Amino acid sequence: MTFPRTGALLILMPLAAAALAFAWPGHGRALARISAAAMTAALAALTREIMAHGVQMHRVGGWGAPLGIELRADGLGVFMLIIAALIGVAVTLYSPSYFASRQPESAPAKHNDSRQNTPSRQAAPPTAKSRDEDGQPHRTRYFWPLFLFLWTALNALFLSADIFNLYVALELLGFGAVTLVALAGGHEALTAAMRYLWVSLAASLFYLLGVALVYGRCATVDLPSLASKAQPGPALWVALALMTGGLAAKAALFPMHFWLPPAHANAPAPVSALLSALVVKGPVYILLRLWFEAFHGLITPAATHALGALGAAAILWGSVRALVQPRLKLLVAYSTVAQLGYVFLLFPLAASPESGLAAWSGGLMFLGAHACAKTAIFLTAGNILHAAGHDRIRDLDGITHALPISAFAFGLAGLSLVGLPPSSGFAGKWMLLSASLAQGQWWWIAVILAGSLLAAAYVLRVLTHAFTRVPNPLTPKPVPPVMEWTALALAVAAVGLGFAAHGAAELLQVGAPNAVASRDNNGPPAKPASAQPQPQTPPEIRRLDSCPESTLPGAARPPHEPSPPDRTAHPGAAQRTPGPKGGHELSEAGVQPRRAAICLARQARRRSAGGWSA
Amino acid sequence: MTRRACIGLLSLGLAAGLSWAVMRLPDAPAGLTAAALAQLPESGVTNPVTAVLLNYRGYDTLLEVGVLLLAMTGVWSLRRGEWPAGDLRDRPLLMSLLRVLLPMLVLAAGYLLWIGAFAPGGAFQGGALLGGALVLALLGGLARRLLRQEPLLRAGLALGVLAFAAAGALALGLTGRLLQYPRGHGGAWIMGIELATLISVGLTLGLLYLGGRPEKDP
Repeated sequence: MTFPRTGALLILMPLAAAALAFAWPGHGRALARISAAAMTAALAALTREIMAHGVQMHRVGGWGAPLGIELRADGLGVFMLIIAALIGVAVTLYSPSYFASRQPESAPAKHNDSRQNTPSRQAAPPTAKSRDEDGQPHRTRYFWPLFLFLWTALNALFLSADIFNLYVALELLGFGAVTLVALAGGHEALTAAMRYLWVSLAASLFYLLGVALVYGRCATVDLPSLASKAQPGPALWVALALMTGGLAAKAALFPMHFWLPPAHANAPAPVSALLSALVVKGPVYILLRLWFEAFHGLITPAATHALGALGAAAILWGSVRALVQPRLKLLVAYSTVAQLGYVFLLFPLAASPESGLAAWSGGLMFLGAHACAKTAIFLTAGNILHAAGHDRIRDLDGITHALPISAFAFGLAGLSLVGLPPSSGFAGKWMLLSASLAQGQWWWIAVILAGSLLAAAYVLRVLTHAFTRVPNPLTPKPVPPVMEWTALALAVAAVGLGFAAHGAAELLQVGAPNAVASRDNNGPPAKPASAQPQPQTPPEIRRLDSCPESTLPGAARPPHEPSPPDRTAHPGAAQRTPGPKGGHELSEAGVQPRRAAICLARQARRRSAGGWSA
Repeated sequence: MTRRACIGLLSLGLAAGLSWAVMRLPDAPAGLTAAALAQLPESGVTNPVTAVLLNYRGYDTLLEVGVLLLAMTGVWSLRRGEWPAGDLRDRPLLMSLLRVLLPMLVLAAGYLLWIGAFAPGGAFQGGALLGGALVLALLGGLARRLLRQEPLLRAGLALGVLAFAAAGALALGLTGRLLQYPRGHGGAWIMGIELATLISVGLTLGLLYLGGRPEKDP
């Protein structure tokens, strides 16, 4: 299978499965499993294709850029798709046992299943008891379509090259996430879901307002062609500010993180994993596209440093708050606030002319590491809740006796959160550190190190309780093996990704934005870059054959005359139009920093293999 | 009070920034109107709005139909709906009004769907009328038998997404592009997709009125 088909499958398969799972309740699990398998196969084919042939574009409907929507599969998008698939498959495997176990979710308030008792209803209906009893099957029944909708939204998001289409995908993502939080039922979860809904809706509208302004100014919503059309000016400055504000609120960037901890802590465990690992990464991904690709001409260093400073504040504040949480799931949720901060350090570091690509790869590597580690930890927290009936950290003494595999998974994932070698968290942090060192931005180094120490403190706080020997350890409810092993598999992935840092860096360089790729000729002393055997020639980048924008002079508002779609010219041809690159060519100068990034990734791996002594 | 002042200042700043940006927009916006009109003969319909919604940017609409079904799934996952208590069998005057009104509304919804290819109208407008008709029927206690057919309702609600996605996949097989309709048959494809969407939109809007899934109290 080749690109348009693989991409279409990644979007249509989960969408159709979600609709079927709604129409045909009781078959949700089978539908999710079938589509997860099909999507994994399609994603493998797509990855191989873009590694061999470079960026792939597809014109939906055959219309082409300004009039129609384009799909794009490039290194960044496929990297995100792979992370989504990894977490998606794990959740598909984990959830049936979790929902079958019928344990109370998180808070004691949960026991009166208040899903049926909305505030408007004063007296409990006489049938309250029977309603309670059917509460659990409903959670499973509705989990599958909602989960599949969420997966659709993520795949559509990571394949889209159109800022309005990204808005539609964001809506699908936001509504899916809110409803999944509400699925837990109970007063706390519903309150958190409601607050999440307001933030998510308001943020979406801010983003949409920005899109409208961009369309009014540039007469296109196509991401690749915006780069050449976006001229600095009040309309686009305001548009970018609105979009960034909205997306930062959705991504829970400090100080707009207030909605995240209650929502993530009160959702069912597999949902918390999806939210922390994937849902908050969607807006971050769009921010990267806007700041480094579409509107890179508008970005000033001061702006990137402001985002980086907010990220740094998030690291410190989130970690300190995590340290004092009484409940495990709240601790993990605050840790998400902190870990997202590291990804925002990417903005000042990757925009800088030196070793930008290293920071780019490092930040994204970190994002992937966090997704795997956080999923593993939330699934472990779900196991602990299941076994012990609570997640108060104080009372977790001796849980290791009951759940040795889960405790091991927690430890491994914690390793990656803290950033100890040989985990992938280490590889990401190492690349970020090297980039800040090369650029002389020492203050980020201080923040990264302080954040790592704080992370070590909160991870150890849980581990010391878990490994404390107690005279009579509690006799917990048995946990289904699949729940324990799924958590462990993801923890192993979080560590193992560190060994795949080289492959990830290579994938991420496919169609990496101009802004990070071709600006630095004198990156870090690119350790004899020739030392690494290039498995294949660098992806051949050809110009997009009909990119009308690239031929226009950068005039602010050209009377727009889109070239007629090529459906009449060569119907059926050019369905695999390679290499958008927004009209720049891969020069020798562009290759150097890419090699440097790969080199850094290898270096990180070598370090981690060497362990502490390195 | 300070909090209110802060919110007020923020809103003022936002309004000022927006006005500044909008004032500086080009007077003659360089939109895509000309391009959309130029391609109209290719699209299979003569109403430019329908061409944008179902052809140029049909993929957006596919995902939006998904958002509608997602909203319905979310509402049904939260709680049971409350069945309206009314019964019109003892109120002959209202009943005779509904007897005339309901068929007219369904007819008008069909007309809006058909006219959407040439003039303002389409699946969403028709679906809104259909939803209104369903709410009237629910209020009058006339749709109880329909509400008991839950499998049928679920199928009807999912129909729009399923048909749209199937059309996209089929088009990919036929023309090599997602949602590119075979040349010369655009109008028929759009009408088929819109018919399925009309049914789903109408059911969604009507059933949202219940505020939950239509299971009966045990």
